Amino acid sequence: QDIQDRTIKFGYFVNAESPVGHGVRKFAEIVAAKSGGKLKVREFPAAQLGNENQQQSALIAGTQEMAAPGSPQLVGAVKEFGLLDFPYIVSTLPQADALLDGPFGQSLLKTLPAKGIVGLGYFENGFRHVTNSKRPVKGLADLDGLKIRVQLNPVFIDTFRAFKTNPVPLGFGELYTALETKAVDAQENPLPNIVTTKFYEVQKYLSLTGHVYGNNIILMSKKFWDKLSATEQKIISEAMTEAIAYQRKISREQLAKGLDDLKAAGMQIDDVAQSEKDKMREISKPITEKFMTQYDAETVKLFKTELERIQKL
Amino acid sequence: MSRLIDAYFYFLKCLIALFLLGMVILVFGNVALRYLFNSGIIVSEELSRWLFVWLIFLGSCVAMREHGHLGVDMLVKRLPPTAKRACVAFTQLAMLYITYLITIGSWKEVLINWDVVAPASGLSLGYFYSSGVVFGVTTGLVLATDLYRTLSGAIPDDRLGLVRESEEIETLHSIPAEGNDRHPGTPQRAGS
Amino acid sequence: MTVLVFTGSLLGSMALGMPIAYALLVCGVALMVYMDIFDAQIITQNLINGADSFPLMAVPFFMLAGEIMNAGGLAKRIVAFALTLVGHIKGGLGYVTILTSCMLASLSGSAVADAAALGALLVPMMTQAGHDKARAAGLVSAGAVIAPVLPPSIGFVIFGVAGGVSISKLFLAGIVPGILMGVGLCVAWWLYARREDTNRLAKRSTKEVMVAFKDGFWALMLPFIIIFGLRFGMFTPTEAAVVVAVYSLFVATVVYGELKLSDLPALFVRSALTTAVVMLLVAAALVSSWLITVSEISTQIIDLVEPLIDHPTLLLLAMMLLVVIVGTALDMTPTILILTPVLMPIVKQAGIDPVYFGVLFIMNCAIGLITPPVGTVLNVVCGVSNITMEQVVKGVWPFMVAQLIVLFLLVLFPILVTGPARWLGGY
Ligand code: NA
Ligand code: NA
Repeated sequence: QDIQDRTIKFGYFVNAESPVGHGVRKFAEIVAAKSGGKLKVREFPAAQLGNENQQQSALIAGTQEMAAPGSPQLVGAVKEFGLLDFPYIVSTLPQADALLDGPFGQSLLKTLPAKGIVGLGYFENGFRHVTNSKRPVKGLADLDGLKIRVQLNPVFIDTFRAFKTNPVPLGFGELYTALETKAVDAQENPLPNIVTTKFYEVQKYLSLTGHVYGNNIILMSKKFWDKLSATEQKIISEAMTEAIAYQRKISREQLAKGLDDLKAAGMQIDDVAQSEKDKMREISKPITEKFMTQYDAETVKLFKTELERIQKL
Repeated sequence: MSRLIDAYFYFLKCLIALFLLGMVILVFGNVALRYLFNSGIIVSEELSRWLFVWLIFLGSCVAMREHGHLGVDMLVKRLPPTAKRACVAFTQLAMLYITYLITIGSWKEVLINWDVVAPASGLSLGYFYSSGVVFGVTTGLVLATDLYRTLSGAIPDDRLGLVRESEEIETLHSIPAEGNDRHPGTPQRAGS
Repeated sequence: MTVLVFTGSLLGSMALGMPIAYALLVCGVALMVYMDIFDAQIITQNLINGADSFPLMAVPFFMLAGEIMNAGGLAKRIVAFALTLVGHIKGGLGYVTILTSCMLASLSGSAVADAAALGALLVPMMTQAGHDKARAAGLVSAGAVIAPVLPPSIGFVIFGVAGGVSISKLFLAGIVPGILMGVGLCVAWWLYARREDTNRLAKRSTKEVMVAFKDGFWALMLPFIIIFGLRFGMFTPTEAAVVVAVYSLFVATVVYGELKLSDLPALFVRSALTTAVVMLLVAAALVSSWLITVSEISTQIIDLVEPLIDHPTLLLLAMMLLVVIVGTALDMTPTILILTPVLMPIVKQAGIDPVYFGVLFIMNCAIGLITPPVGTVLNVVCGVSNITMEQVVKGVWPFMVAQLIVLFLLVLFPILVTGPARWLGGY
């Protein structure tokens, strides 16, 4: 037979109610249906299988089959993944889809097999926004002096320094407490993370800065992938394409609800004017230019052509 | 040879003390900087975690040599000498197998992660996973020596499984004998 | 069946006298073989990444702080202060011991560290005043186990990380139960001491009290720094631990001048070694805990306790009984690490507040440190006060029973934990 009994351990880091969780369950359903129940996907939310480094390692070793970390996790292995998290490269959801599903996003996935991983596509995590406990942030000037926890990523750190904030290093696990005790004033994350980690309990102000479009990259162990028959590989790929479409739909449907929930929980939500976003883009430009010189020239070239293409969308 | 080994473990002890000091400086420094100057040491979180991991695995080597790991030896102590010796040898063999697994497992992790870099420091994750290799090899050698001495009868029956260097016998006798749930030489303050 | 493989391999290797850290790894190997997913990298990935945790860095910092407090004269001054406060009442030294235990508990994260300090200082004092030595050693032992319940606490840190529960909330929720343990001891001691005829100390003048207070002031400030720091925004629990270590280092060297720089290397080596021993255990437990997650043992166990799920109080009592039994034979850290992944799914399924459960669980594990046959705190007190295990077991039992009664009351009246915790702003 072309399809064997197999169990796929699918680990991710946010909790089961998040859009990523919905996407994983949809994928599991479709795979089960298409394989006549022979391929089983078991989900392990909330970092049950270990932290990002551990799960990445486990994929390479073949002790875990699938994972969906944020794409910055891969920067350590393929630094060009850092390009996806440059500030203000996409400003709308169609632009984001076009970048990830187009030649650039796919060319990044092709760098992965050499590292022992197969990239199957991107789930949506959503635009990252700044929240804080001090004051409404409607523009660049309001960011001045905020103690903010950002992702441990040199591009992020330099950008937020240029925005005149004080980025402080802190693990995600310590973040809630640090915000609660006001050891840190601010943080930046996509809405689903803000909702599921209950940052609204300890942060008063949400500003829709949308400075980065965050995604979760779907990874499979190459060792496992190579064991699969052509039929099985086809089932997985097709199921994933469907699951991605579904996941992004859910994520977008939940967006409005997420904002309402946060409002109901007592958060003040402030829009950030396009002119302010443009200012921030200008400030971050020299920083991103500097980082681009360290990346593979071909990839950067493709990145720039693609950016031009998607600006027109 | 034995002086060389002593020097190696002395060196390990110096290292773990320095690592602990480094952790204190990095983490406290970060609190102070954040509170006083609204800033922080970006590598502090990551680097202190790495020092912590190395401290744990190097310290565990030392603890293995000094029989400081937590355990329950009430049952084994009540066995007749031959059974006790067989039991200790079997346990040491099983532990040797575990350290073998840790050594090859960590070595593979080092290879997998050699060209993966940590986000803050830019250091190869290979250095992080090497802690397991150093731990596995060192502990494995300690265990192999102990096993040899158990089988060859170099250790008298009453001190089986409590292999100590002779100059440390003083500490051995100062530990209460009854209901002892850990081996002599355990640092007095366990994690409770 | 998986449950049998898990418990059989773990208990089997422990019975052979294998260090528990290694027994957990053997158990991991057995589970891998049974589940047919044997791979050395599963061990190393979980072992090394399990050690790689920022919150758990509270462990070495508290270890270090404990060493410094004992060597640097902080513990001594607290005893002196408590002596001036309650030394003169009947059976006064007993109350001094209990008060000191509570004060020291709010500085230190480890029962064993406290047992060493209190045993060395107070057992000789009580014996000299005419108290029964076994009873004195018993009281000191029972007092020491308040340390993991009153914040700060290494036990809460390890449970918080293993069970995914907020460490700050656990700390704040532990305050009142910790004090209740002290109250329980006072009642037990009062029942005992009213029949006893011992020398009473003279009542101290207010001036003497003030002098002792001034002398101990720097040490006594520490709990306030911790609680205010956590509550009103200076640091996270891990950072609180490093603040405690640095602060006590400052007080011991600069203010009291009892600790010389040349004493420090030995202190650091000892703390680092103890940390390594405890943390290897933690990391090894994460290997078996990963395999438990993957094998779905927890669903099997939930099925097992299904009939109790709708009766939270009975379920809690059953779980507490299990912890008491495990606690007779196991040290605190292994009990936490082995039982947390097994019990937490049940707790969540039954809708029990994880913070409340955590407080009861840690209190129970702490009491396990003074239950025979294996009690690390009893061993330490025997060691520092030169009596036998039989004697100290005889001496400790009324106090152990008092603490079990406190635990039982907390099971029956959850509000005793959750009420004050909410009031303190924990949640
Ligand atoms: Na404490
Ligand atoms: Na016990």
